[in-house]
Amino acid sequence: MGSKDRVWEVFRQEAEGDPMIHGGSVKAPDEELATHYAREFYGRRQESERLWIVPRDAITELDDPDLLKPPFDRSFKRPGGFLIKHKLEAARERAGSPQVDEVGE
Amino acid sequence: MSDLDRETREALAELLLSMADDEFVLGFWDSEWTGIAPILEEDVAMSSVSQDEIGHAKALYELLAGLTGEDADRIAFGRPADGYRHAALMNHARTDWAFSIARRFLYEHADAVRLESLAASAYQPLAELAVKMRREETYHLLHFDLWLRRLAEGGDDSHARLGAAIEQLWSDAQAVFAPLTGEACLVAARILPDSLEALRSRWLERVGERLQAASLPVPSSTGRPQADGRTRHTDEFAWLHGEFTMVSGSEADATW
Repeated sequence: MGSKDRVWEVFRQEAEGDPMIHGGSVKAPDEELATHYAREFYGRRQESERLWIVPRDAITELDDPDLLKPPFDRSFKRPGGFLIKHKLEAARERAGSPQVDEVGE
Repeated sequence: MSDLDRETREALAELLLSMADDEFVLGFWDSEWTGIAPILEEDVAMSSVSQDEIGHAKALYELLAGLTGEDADRIAFGRPADGYRHAALMNHARTDWAFSIARRFLYEHADAVRLESLAASAYQPLAELAVKMRREETYHLLHFDLWLRRLAEGGDDSHARLGAAIEQLWSDAQAVFAPLTGEACLVAARILPDSLEALRSRWLERVGERLQAASLPVPSSTGRPQADGRTRHTDEFAWLHGEFTMVSGSEADATW
C-alpha cells in the first residue's frame, strides 16, 4: 500500500436531519478500505448517523485571496460595517432618554 | 429455561466458556498489533476489532458467571493456563501480518457460522447475545475478507505467506468445532440448534469458496477435529497467559 494511498475526507452527521460536518481525513488506497477506516475513526462509538467519504482530489478547492479576501474595504457589505454609535447617541439626546454606555457600534 | 437441569447447565457452561475463551485469547493476540500494524489506519482498525472481541468475551463470561454463580473477572483472569478452553487455532503467536490475517479470516467465518446458529438458541439470553454479537461481527467479516483478497492479490510474497499461513493453521482451525462433552445434551435441548459437525461443514464451504476466489490453495480436508482441540495448549499461549494475567495476578482481589 503506502505509495498508492489516497486521502479521503470524511464528513459526518450526528443526528438525522443535521448538516454534514467535516470530521477529518483518512488514508486508504481505495473506496472500500476508506469506508472501513472512516467507520473506525468517525463512527464506531455510535457518534455518527451517517458518513460521507470523499476522495480529496474530487474536491474543488478555492482559496484565492483575490477572490475571497478582496483588498478594498467591503465593510459596507456587512451589517456591522455601518457605524451607528453616534447616530444612536444623537437620537437618544433628541428623545431625552438616558445614555446607555454599553451600546456599541 | 431458567430451571436447567444440572447436566444441561454444565453443558451450557462448557459451550459459553469455549466461545468466551476463543474471543478473549484472540483479542489479546491481535491487540499485540497496536502500534506496529502496517499503516496507522489499520493499526486503529485492528486494535478496535481486538477490543470488540474482548467485549464479546466479557459478555459471554458474564452470562457464564450468572449461570454458575462465579465472578466474570475471576473466570477471565483467575485460571491457570491449562484451564483455558480456546480452540487450538488461538495457540499461535501473532507472527507476521499475513499469519494474523489468515487466522482472523478462518476464525471470523467459524464464529459467524456459530453465531448464526445460536441466534436461534432455545436459551434466550444466549440467543439475544448472539444476535447482538452478529451485528458487530458483520464488520469483522467484511474487513478480513477484504484483507484476505488484498494479500492474495498483493504480489508473490504476500500471496505465498498467506497461503503458507492458511496451510499451517488449517488443522488447528478445525478445533473451533471440536466436540464438547455435553454437546448431545445441548443439541437435544435446542440450546445449540446445530451440531458442531454440521457447523463445521457450513464453515468449510464458505471458507473454501473464498480461498478459491482468491486463488489460494484450499488445504485438503483433515477430517473431524481432534477431541483435544480445546485442551491442548502451547508454550506460546503460556507466554500470552502470563502477559494478560500479569496485572490481575500482581494484586489478587484488588479493587480497581
